Amino acid sequence: MVIRKLNEEIMLYSLVFSFDFALMCTLAAIGLGTLCFIVRTKKFFNLTATKIERKYCGFATEEQSQKGKSDHLDVDFWNLIRCFPIFDFLDWREKAKKMSGWDRFKPSRSRLGRNPTNMDQRTVPRTVTLGRVQPQAPSHRTIYCNDRDANLVLRFKGNSISTTKYNFFSFLPKGLYEQFRRVANLYFLMVSILSATPYSPVHPITNVVPLSLVLLVSLIKEAFEDWKRLQNDMTINNTLVDVLQDQRWECIPWKRLQVGDIVRVKQDGFFPADLLLLASTNPDGICYVETANLDGETNLKIRKALERTWDYLTSEKAFEFKGEVQCEQPNNSLYTFTGNLVMENQTLPLSPNQLLLRGCSLKNTQYIVGAVIFTGHETKVMMNSMNVPSKRSTLERKLDKLILALFCTLFSMCLIGAIGSGVFINKKYYFLGLDKGVEDQFNPNNRFLVALLTMLTLLTLYSTIIPISLYVSIEMIKFIQSTQFINRDINMYHAETNTPALARTSNLNEELGQVEYIFSDKTGTLTRNLMEFFKCSIGGEMYGTGITEIERGIAEQNGIKLQEQKLTNAVHEKGFNFVDERLMRGAWRNEVNADACKEFFRCLAICHTVLPEGDVSPEKIKYQAASPDEAALVIAAKNFGFFFYRRTPTAIYVRESHVERMGKVQDVSYEILNVLEFNSTRKRQSVVCRYPDGRLVLYCKGADTVIFERLTVGNDNLRKVTREHLENFGASGLRTLCLAYRDLVPDVYESWNEKFIHAKSSLRDREKKLDEVAELIEKDLILIGATAIEDKLQEGVPNCIETLSRAGIKIWVLTGDKIETAINIAYACNLMNNEMKQFIISSETDAIREVEERGNQVEIARSIKEEVKNKLKKCIDEAQQYFHNVSGPKLALVIDGKCLMYALDPSLRAMLLTLSLNCASVVCCRVSPLQKAQVTSLVKKGARKITLSIGDGANDVSMIQAAHIGVGISGLEGMQAVMASDFAIAQFRFLKDLLLVHGRWSYLRICKVVMYFFYKNLTFTLTQFWFTFYTGFSGQRFYDDWFQSLFNVIFTSFPVIILGLFEKDVSAALSKRYPELYKEGIRNAFFKWRVVATWAFFAVYQSLVFYHFVNTSSYAAESSSGKMFGLWDVSTMTFTCIVVTVNLRLLMMCNSITRWHYIGVGGSIVAWFLFIFLYSGLMTKHDRQENIYWAIYILMSTAYFYVALLLIPVAALLVDFIYQGVQRWFFPYDYQIVQEIHRHEPEDSRTDLLEIENNLTPEEARSYALSQLPRELSKHTGFAFDSPGYESFFASQRGIFAPHKAWDVAKRASMKSKPKVSKKEKH
Amino acid sequence: MASSSAGGPGSGDAAPPRRNSKRPKYSRFTQQELPACKPILTPRWVISAFLLVGIVFIPIGVISLFASQDVVEIVDRYDSVCIPKNFTNDKVKYIQSPGSKPPCHRILNVTKHMKQPIYVYYQLDNFYQNHRRYVKSRNDKQLRDPSSENDISGCKPEDSNSRGVIVPCGLIAWSLFNDTYNFSHNNQQLKVNRRGISWKSDRDHKFGKDVFPKNFQSGGLIGGGKLAYNVSLSEQEDLIVWMRTAALPTFRKLYGKIEVDLQKGDVINVTLGNYYNTYSFNGKKKLVLSTTSWLGGKNDFLGIAYLTVGGLCFFLALSFTLIYLIKPRQLGDPTFLSWNRGPGGH
Repeated sequence: MVIRKLNEEIMLYSLVFSFDFALMCTLAAIGLGTLCFIVRTKKFFNLTATKIERKYCGFATEEQSQKGKSDHLDVDFWNLIRCFPIFDFLDWREKAKKMSGWDRFKPSRSRLGRNPTNMDQRTVPRTVTLGRVQPQAPSHRTIYCNDRDANLVLRFKGNSISTTKYNFFSFLPKGLYEQFRRVANLYFLMVSILSATPYSPVHPITNVVPLSLVLLVSLIKEAFEDWKRLQNDMTINNTLVDVLQDQRWECIPWKRLQVGDIVRVKQDGFFPADLLLLASTNPDGICYVETANLDGETNLKIRKALERTWDYLTSEKAFEFKGEVQCEQPNNSLYTFTGNLVMENQTLPLSPNQLLLRGCSLKNTQYIVGAVIFTGHETKVMMNSMNVPSKRSTLERKLDKLILALFCTLFSMCLIGAIGSGVFINKKYYFLGLDKGVEDQFNPNNRFLVALLTMLTLLTLYSTIIPISLYVSIEMIKFIQSTQFINRDINMYHAETNTPALARTSNLNEELGQVEYIFSDKTGTLTRNLMEFFKCSIGGEMYGTGITEIERGIAEQNGIKLQEQKLTNAVHEKGFNFVDERLMRGAWRNEVNADACKEFFRCLAICHTVLPEGDVSPEKIKYQAASPDEAALVIAAKNFGFFFYRRTPTAIYVRESHVERMGKVQDVSYEILNVLEFNSTRKRQSVVCRYPDGRLVLYCKGADTVIFERLTVGNDNLRKVTREHLENFGASGLRTLCLAYRDLVPDVYESWNEKFIHAKSSLRDREKKLDEVAELIEKDLILIGATAIEDKLQEGVPNCIETLSRAGIKIWVLTGDKIETAINIAYACNLMNNEMKQFIISSETDAIREVEERGNQVEIARSIKEEVKNKLKKCIDEAQQYFHNVSGPKLALVIDGKCLMYALDPSLRAMLLTLSLNCASVVCCRVSPLQKAQVTSLVKKGARKITLSIGDGANDVSMIQAAHIGVGISGLEGMQAVMASDFAIAQFRFLKDLLLVHGRWSYLRICKVVMYFFYKNLTFTLTQFWFTFYTGFSGQRFYDDWFQSLFNVIFTSFPVIILGLFEKDVSAALSKRYPELYKEGIRNAFFKWRVVATWAFFAVYQSLVFYHFVNTSSYAAESSSGKMFGLWDVSTMTFTCIVVTVNLRLLMMCNSITRWHYIGVGGSIVAWFLFIFLYSGLMTKHDRQENIYWAIYILMSTAYFYVALLLIPVAALLVDFIYQGVQRWFFPYDYQIVQEIHRHEPEDSRTDLLEIENNLTPEEARSYALSQLPRELSKHTGFAFDSPGYESFFASQRGIFAPHKAWDVAKRASMKSKPKVSKKEKH
Repeated sequence: MASSSAGGPGSGDAAPPRRNSKRPKYSRFTQQELPACKPILTPRWVISAFLLVGIVFIPIGVISLFASQDVVEIVDRYDSVCIPKNFTNDKVKYIQSPGSKPPCHRILNVTKHMKQPIYVYYQLDNFYQNHRRYVKSRNDKQLRDPSSENDISGCKPEDSNSRGVIVPCGLIAWSLFNDTYNFSHNNQQLKVNRRGISWKSDRDHKFGKDVFPKNFQSGGLIGGGKLAYNVSLSEQEDLIVWMRTAALPTFRKLYGKIEVDLQKGDVINVTLGNYYNTYSFNGKKKLVLSTTSWLGGKNDFLGIAYLTVGGLCFFLALSFTLIYLIKPRQLGDPTFLSWNRGPGGH
């Protein structure tokens, strides 16, 4: 790929330069290509190459499929290496054959029958799953545990890691190579080489100095970053760990750890390498592991040591441990591991269950003892380590076009000059000495050659038109912007999680100012994933006095002020936010429908799949639930006096208070006979239980639609009232569930149970059969009531979304949740309302379901596609009517993952895009991580809009990487999203600051910086160009070498950096108050060709002023002494004018002038004078010509100098000033109006404003909400219930075969409760 | 933006900072709240800026123009006139022919009183002293330092001849201007002071006191003037002047000073030695007599430019004021905001 890129560059050059120059480039490209090949080789050996691509190549976006090719390259290369006998030592297979252990290993592995993919890889080592797993060396490694000497022979890698890009020796070559991959730098390298030839009119120093300064700055930056990485590595490498040495635990740093060592890791400690678990302080050799660093999952996973090794727990015992581990070679597959432990002539198979990965931490276990298997870079986590994907901002890509345009300008300028030189050269100018032995460049006999060579001359002369320091300046500005401004913004600091914002890349700052589409994950991003029991309806009575934010908004819209009653004795805990005196503390017994209440609470306490954990007291107990909804319901039951505290496989224990009489507490155990689990088609969950008194009840909870269908006839009133309540809840943005029960007759139950067991043990279509059986008993239900759970939004989300949408940003929600949940949240955060026209494309239609029943895959695909196509067409037709109608409703699109899969098909993609781009909000639900990425790329590539993805979990990684900008939510446990992101913020609402303040400013600043660079270099170079016309097109330089080389790097560089750092059109507070200002960025108003043309016009005008004013006015004598100026006096004069003007021009384009501006601009001008005073005052030995000697003193001795110095900058800037005045007066930008509106307001410190704003925020938020709120009550009821994402604890009951997963997601509670029970029984 | 700390119990500011708190420290720099002046280019500012420029520039323009008007300048083009009649068709041949050439007589009329010093310039046209090949064809070291006599790099093709290295080497020195002027007034010789016509810095530092010409103009083709071998380069002022190469192909160089006042109506006879070849490239030669003001020679450009810019600014100030009065734009009018202007706004 690199080579291909270089080829593109060559094309570019051949366009610009003459042929022989292209030849030079080709040579350079070949050279660089070789270098790149070497780098690649090195990468392969380090086995650090392009892991990230591998990991995510599964999500084959277009880019990634290209990356896949590079993997092929690696594999090919691997083959190539093996062809050489010298690399024989690399062939592990040879070694493997000699090992007897391998043969024993094989049958045992096949017996295991796990990980077929892994096996395939070994038997056919060349078939590499594209991008998934690295090409594996076909072999295994043998580790002698606890025997350093034996392992020494095998030369395993050490445990020290290095994530640095360079080492001491490779820094210069590799760093330089990186730098010269930049077109501008390469160009300057060429020019520098060219300027060393006699064709150059300038001393090589002219080009070498800026280039080396630029390279120096870049290299220092690289070195600094690498140094930080090194320090980071050192910290990690020097972390201490206990290792077994001579029967004692010794503390040694991680880096000195070796393969085969026995280590001890204590609770909450991190594993220093990939370990084989030998023993744990927990019974049964179990330990708990948190893998948040690996995959972001925060639930604990369980690892179990082989029974044979359980005893090696103490240092004395462990010292006796001698074993030989034969296992696979290091690879990056996190979830597979195969190997054998050979001890005492026994071969024990190893599985991922015994493997503790580096980067994970030990939880709930006092300590474990393990043997080191993989170390350092060979650990699985390191082989998976992700580099931040390097993204380039759109503006930068557009900048490339500008540079290309400059190349074209340069080319035409050179061409004009070259033709001129060919025409001009003539022997009649005898004073040029063209007669005898003249060199080719001035030989009038070959005018073509003269033109050609002059072309080269002019190329070096005009090289300043390409702003060499532009990139490095921008980089510096962005670096400071991200490290100093974004990372340190107090407004983006989240105190609760103690997390400031973090810019992980500084490339994309200005891209933040142009975002048009935001793709947001729901859970953890928009919502807190915190479910709170908020309201309920029992027996037709509504309970719960809380008011949701949405209700409050509606009320205010109707002019009602709601006073929230503050109850001092209100119970509030995580998951429970319910206020109603009628139910609390047993008060429900006095209610009319006390019986219904009792059933309601029992249903809550019994019908669930929650596991209790921790101390058996209402305060300390913790519930492990599949979804937070469930936990909230159980917590609610607890607070109502039905405290569920223990579960055994057959029973649920509930501590009930106030049931018979107030204050009485009794423990009741309910025998659980059946659990009919929740799934998405059933949308309900039931439990059959037997009371201690023998009563048989089925408790059921589920979506209102499902429950209502199955209610027994009668009591229509309750039904009606409950439905009203449900709608009410739904309108308030709450998630609802209906509760019902049914008393069972033992005979009926027994006969049903037989069917149930039969269905459970059936081997085919078990799921379906179970569902059918469940239908038989889940009928004739009696409605108890309904619950309403508040899915807590993250703080400030509706306000933020509202603000962002006013800024012209469209927000799409991409979630793995169900369609109902997603719509619910969309309502809650103002993305949707009832005034919007909703298009719902869902696979949950009868037609599709019917096809799916039939089960023919091809048929299913075809018909769903057809269905989706029709739906899309219909939607577009309908939408078309609204497009034409200005006052028509806004549109919203809801689409689910299955339909999306077909809609993303190339044939339908365009339709999907048209529809979705015209929708104000889009909600995609039930989407996979891959689809999230696909949708993002659809908009990114299909619509060519700037996209931003925000998410918090591992499932958002692909989307984060696919978008232009990826934002991760930090501060929570999982780091996966953050590791993949470009920016990390703690809260969704900080997007407002990130985009509207930092992004907008960055965009504005970078645009101004780029434009300014463009202008100043063009101005400067054009004066040189005009001069060429008066020198017989000879390519004589107008300026001294040092002027030219320092122009960019000293005399005009500092102020522009100041501009890039401190430019502010309006204050941060105003940026957020007028989010519409952001649209200027989306429209790219400041970096259009029109803007470029304006600047170019001024550059031409000014250069003409400089050149002609100075030359015309210095025609006669300049002072009363009558002496004349020479060339160098005139050029020094011109240069002085340029430096002064260009710096003043910068001041003119600033909206906010700090003292740094004065220092910068003043300093630059002073720097020029200081320089010229020194430079023209010194007579250097090494100078070729002392052209400039005393020039400035001569100039300054004339009155002319001062008179001209006043005139020329003013004349040059006059037109700019007129333009600015007229523009502001007649065609003001929005920001200018806002400036004017607030011109008299002193900009207070933002923190002061903050306080004021704080008070305002809720009101503002509400008023925003008001404008967006539905005018009528929503008709949708917010049913939502997340199904467990994994096999639950109950799956293993009653002989159900659950495929044992290699990397089992275990519930620590479930594992704990069992031994406890068994112990009790023993006693 | 509501900081979450304010939302929680007790503001984060009020609470003592937690240990290990990653809360960024407040500084005006990192919070981008540096005190700044925010100039808004309001119409009033625009108008006053124009007025100010006008007020400053017009007087300067007037003064400069007066200064330039005070200067008396007599220009006489003599290149074609000083060719004998029989050579008018082949001027180059005439000028290149060896042997002495008859002096050429010119008469200059003084139209205005000229105060001394009166500067004598020669002006060449179409002479590319700034041509790249020409500019670099010299060696400053050799000019300065007798020990670097053999340093002739860059001097090609006039670096050395059969007799050795040339001092001063290079095309510039080789093509030294060599026309001579003698002035007489009322049959009385007017003394032309040819000292002090070069910049002092050149004399003192660029041309050595003990560097003497060597082998100069002794080759085959003679480019221009010769130098006295026994006079050090630092005293050869016409060479020093010549070697301060001009910026443009049309340039004036100081020849000498007449340190006598000339009265209005005076007639000056010039005896011209016309030796220098500008004929091969159609270059003009002019003789210029000029006094100077504080601003130098006769050059109206600065004054006119000042007046133009100043006048333009006045005009602009006036027209902007008119527009302002006729159709004022209210500052900060929200109706100008793009999202308030068009329906829909997107």
